[in-house]
Amino acid sequence: MVNEDRRQILISPVTRIEGHAKITIRLDDHGEVDEALFHVNEFRGFEKFCEGRLYTEMPIITPRICGICPVSHSIASVKACEMIQGIQPAYAGNILRRLIHIGQNISSHALSFFHLSSPDFLLGYDSDPVNRNILGLAEKFPDIALKGIRLRKFGQEISQRITGKKIHISGIAPGGMAFPLLEENRLALLNWIPEAKETVQLGLSIIKKFHEENAEMVNSFAVSPTLYLGTVGPQGEHELYDGKLRFIDENGNILQDQLDPKRYLEFIAERSVSWSYLKYPYYKPLGYEKGFYRVGPLARLNVASKMKTPLAQLEFENFKNIAGGRPIHGTFYYHYARLIEALSSVEEAEILLNDPEITSDHIQTHGKWNYTEGIGCSEAPRGTLFHHYITDESGKLLKVNLLIATGQNNPGMNKSITEVAKQYVNGNDIKEGMLNRVESTIRCYDPCLSCSTHAIGAMPLQVEVMNANGQIIQRIERG
Amino acid sequence: MNTIDIKINERSLKVLPGITILQACRDNGIDILTMCHLKGLSDVGACRLCLVEIEGINKLLSACTTRVASNMVIRTDTEKIKRYQRITTELFFAERNHVCSVCVANGNCELQELGYKVGMDHIRYPFLFPECKVDTSHQYFVMDHNRCIMCTRCVRACSEVEGAFNWDVKNRGFQVRVISDFDTPWGESITCTSCGKCLQACPTGALWSKDVVQGQLEKHPEMITELVEKRKLLLT
Repeated sequence: MVNEDRRQILISPVTRIEGHAKITIRLDDHGEVDEALFHVNEFRGFEKFCEGRLYTEMPIITPRICGICPVSHSIASVKACEMIQGIQPAYAGNILRRLIHIGQNISSHALSFFHLSSPDFLLGYDSDPVNRNILGLAEKFPDIALKGIRLRKFGQEISQRITGKKIHISGIAPGGMAFPLLEENRLALLNWIPEAKETVQLGLSIIKKFHEENAEMVNSFAVSPTLYLGTVGPQGEHELYDGKLRFIDENGNILQDQLDPKRYLEFIAERSVSWSYLKYPYYKPLGYEKGFYRVGPLARLNVASKMKTPLAQLEFENFKNIAGGRPIHGTFYYHYARLIEALSSVEEAEILLNDPEITSDHIQTHGKWNYTEGIGCSEAPRGTLFHHYITDESGKLLKVNLLIATGQNNPGMNKSITEVAKQYVNGNDIKEGMLNRVESTIRCYDPCLSCSTHAIGAMPLQVEVMNANGQIIQRIERG
Repeated sequence: MNTIDIKINERSLKVLPGITILQACRDNGIDILTMCHLKGLSDVGACRLCLVEIEGINKLLSACTTRVASNMVIRTDTEKIKRYQRITTELFFAERNHVCSVCVANGNCELQELGYKVGMDHIRYPFLFPECKVDTSHQYFVMDHNRCIMCTRCVRACSEVEGAFNWDVKNRGFQVRVISDFDTPWGESITCTSCGKCLQACPTGALWSKDVVQGQLEKHPEMITELVEKRKLLLT
């Protein structure tokens, strides 16, 4: 006998990513959402095939994990290499790396907001998926689309002007940088700052207007109280490149502060689940059930005490006022947090470009293998990233552990999807607009697979309602 | 000085007797692809890139190991030769594990340049994906067998220029490998003088120094040639 009450809604694929993701929404006996599961069905194997390589190759190999945040991998990796060598990078090389990292952050956040997410805000969630993308945006709001594209270009231009390449750069080397910044390139980047600032502020005005007009939705959208992890400077200031870790709980109480990233294994554990290749990391002292934490822009702003730059600080104060100084749990606020970070990054880029040492030729210190273990950490656009290497006494890698931001957000994503599914999906009435909200929850986190969620043309989307026996009783397809 | 008459690509040339076809080509500005040849080292005809057509001989011969003869009519630019060069290049890539994007030699690699020169936009042969070792045991240098094309320039530089005889070759066919001493880890070699000539001779990212990363690697194979020329001067 077919049990039609126990149903499963399957959204697959979420997007045409490198690998495939799908969402399963399980319904209970009454057709109400029971739980939602986000599956990642792709296996990359970087940790395994890097074994046997020389550790100094890692800042070049690991960026190939991602085409959006390659610099963060390179930075985490090179820091691990510097720990193995026991050296400090040259000042100029270090600020050049910081500048490239900022550039990537601007580029990634611009991509996330203007290319991928703003079509939802400006064209509407329920608009035709065929046009709900950057091209549809360019048709209706050409000025905004162009500015967004140019902001992304600015971020990549920083890499281009320093290393000669926009995405998978070379030259990030243990001890600093392999290439200096030439004066003509410094000036060219500096000239771009006012336009970049203006565009980020345009983005901020778009999101704030959306918040005002959709306050109810924004404040109730996937509100998932969790712990938060982010990097902060010595005064608790927001930090992306170098700093110490801070964990806070859902009420904003600091659980750990100024925690050296090298101690990450004392505080983070991972659990594998049978239905996804993404592991479930959690805050070790509180255990698997209570230790879910989130990373990324929202987490970083939740943990930070202040921003480092004036304009970003003003926005940060607005942000903090939303929840009266307590952490903001609404997943939708990832977008706002992302733009505040972008503003901070543009301001910091200006400061760095005005540093008299930025064009120095002394960009690298030199070391050699000294220790068997290295741990490096950076704040990728999507959150805290750890690289951990163990080598033999010739520098050959014996073990590689990579703790990626999206992996750390995985439990949070599941929680948020479940919240949204409960709110918007009714098992007896599956509509395209509702399902898009589930998908857009994932987009809030801007996971590594988001790059094509708003691919040109219709999103490939398949929804299946299955009964307990696995029989498909309803199907919606597009794309 | 006695010369002989030969013809290369319809050009009539007067060249010294006893030189190789490759030298005759290079002396007269005729481009010819090579990988295993390095001026100053002996030639072994290993890479098969310098194959030429010689009138009256029904097979292709390697220009680096074939000496000129009087009235020889040679072609270096036929479609057949170009086809073979492309095949040879593709086989280099298919035989080991060459990943330019993460290679220390990316942008400074003779094999990569060769790929561009022959217009290699894809590889038609199945990759062998052999399991190759990365020997990091030497204090300063690395040998990555994934990137070795068995040109044996390192072997000849080590024996003919440095005189250390650290490098040699084991096995046959696609299982052939460069070895250090009697197939011991390089770091345990009792013959290696750590002179680094093999690194300069290597055309790919198979041999490199531990203190450089991608973008910093510079190879100077001409250094080997210069050393050989300078030694000749000492002897005269």
